[in-house]
Amino acid sequence: MTPLPPVLSVRDLVKRYRNGTLANDHVCLDLFPGEVFALLGPNGAGKTTLVRQLLGLARPTSGSITLDGVDIVADPGFARRNIGFLPQGSFDLQSLTVAETIEFAARLRGVPPREARAAAARLVERLDLGPFRNTAMHAASGGVRRLAGFAAAVAAPARLLVLDEPTNDVDPLRRAVLWDLIAELGRGGATILLVTHNLAEAERVIDRLAIMNAGRIIREGSPAALRGLVTERLRLEVTAARPLAPHPALAPDGPSACLFDAADLPAVAAWLARLRAAGDVLDFRIGPPTLDDIYAAAMASAGPGRSAPLPAGARA
Amino acid sequence: MTAFLRQYRDLVSMELRSMRAEVPMVAVIQAGFTLGFVLGFGYLIPDIREQTALYIITGTATQGLVTIGLVMLPQILAQSKHEGRLDYFLAMPISREAYLLALVTVVGLMALPGIVFCLLFGAWHYGIALQLSPLFPAVIVLGIASLAGVGIALAVYSPHQQVTNAATQLIIFYVLFFAPVLMPREQLPALLRETARFAPPSYAADAVRASVTDLPGTHLGASLAAMALFAAGSIALSAVAIRRRG
Repeated sequence: MTPLPPVLSVRDLVKRYRNGTLANDHVCLDLFPGEVFALLGPNGAGKTTLVRQLLGLARPTSGSITLDGVDIVADPGFARRNIGFLPQGSFDLQSLTVAETIEFAARLRGVPPREARAAAARLVERLDLGPFRNTAMHAASGGVRRLAGFAAAVAAPARLLVLDEPTNDVDPLRRAVLWDLIAELGRGGATILLVTHNLAEAERVIDRLAIMNAGRIIREGSPAALRGLVTERLRLEVTAARPLAPHPALAPDGPSACLFDAADLPAVAAWLARLRAAGDVLDFRIGPPTLDDIYAAAMASAGPGRSAPLPAGARA
Repeated sequence: MTAFLRQYRDLVSMELRSMRAEVPMVAVIQAGFTLGFVLGFGYLIPDIREQTALYIITGTATQGLVTIGLVMLPQILAQSKHEGRLDYFLAMPISREAYLLALVTVVGLMALPGIVFCLLFGAWHYGIALQLSPLFPAVIVLGIASLAGVGIALAVYSPHQQVTNAATQLIIFYVLFFAPVLMPREQLPALLRETARFAPPSYAADAVRASVTDLPGTHLGASLAAMALFAAGSIALSAVAIRRRG
């Protein structure tokens, strides 16, 4: 069977600003229909510059970007007509209400007023924004503004959705609803480029991901394939009754988690059993590494400004 | 309806709703401005002549246009640019010109009640009958379009929000004290008379005066033409700037 052509194809994209900063360095990406693709990377990695070029807000120095086969560097209007966008920063329109923000985003994307109102009502309901429907954007909480922005991005049909940190400031219950909706959009055939730092939650909806550093894609593949980077590592999460003396096999990974070599499992398990018997450890969980761990490993192996070779089989 | 007109209609409707909290505040500021200038100059100059009173009334009305088009609008736009809100709109499939014209329309609608109040209150306070020209609506439309157009260009080309804000403060000082807005052109020194030829508030003030008074030395046709040029030129320049990809 012939594979479907990519919805978005980025080839050898280079963006060098006038001050000499190389923001994107020969970036290549393909996003296929219905795929939820996450773009990860530290601040300054070049993610925002890449997104700005997709949206026609910045012109590449060299390379190509096509959307459904159309060269959107030459025709940025095609990108604007076919990409739904949630920006990372604020875009709230002062006194517009939450429902109006969604409705007008749809209208500006060409949806007739009545249908735009209906789409806004549906999304308000779906994202549990009913109590805030008539709240002015400037008076709404950061989380509500974020959800309204997300709804505004998906209120009109689009070939590609670019969602930059969709869950910032959103409360846990609504975050779960939002991730469900993103997964649903993906299953419904929408192609989604997700720029996020919330890897733990994004993991459940991501089909593939790319990690950027210093303007380059340093890793790309499915989460399962990229786990190969840390395949000999395990993750330990501990709930301790009091501060614990560190075990030599454990490498801290956040305030209550550690990574360790699978080979050290017997020693670590014995250590945990001793601590639990003494009442020092209330609970613990050992499991496979998360996307956060993959990301940390990729960044550690790349080092600043360098591109690490892909491990065998990492590219899905 | 063409796509341009549909987008313009939607953008005006959206911007009006998005600024509904600011409209009463703008009305209060403009009313305060009018009361302050019209009453205040009366206290400063005890036996005010009709010609001076007409300069105060028409100059204050023009000052209201300047405050909204050349100060408030560029400050709002500079903030939008700084916060990324402008990019959000530029990533939408909308005409750049429709977006800019919608902004001009909305600030024009916000300025209108203040101008009318200023002219009516000033005429009543000084007991002067204004002589309204049929071209008065065109004067207001071109006045706000030229001032807001230049205001937009200032915000779009300014490298930073703070630069825009500083420039708008300087504009206020210039218009209040160094431009033929509140005072007759011939009372200014030669340098300022020449400078005024390049400043859109000079033409707006001249056109407002010509359209509601029979003061000598006004040039309605020339001022309307100059305002049209400023409006078209600045909006075209702004459209070029926001169409440019960095």
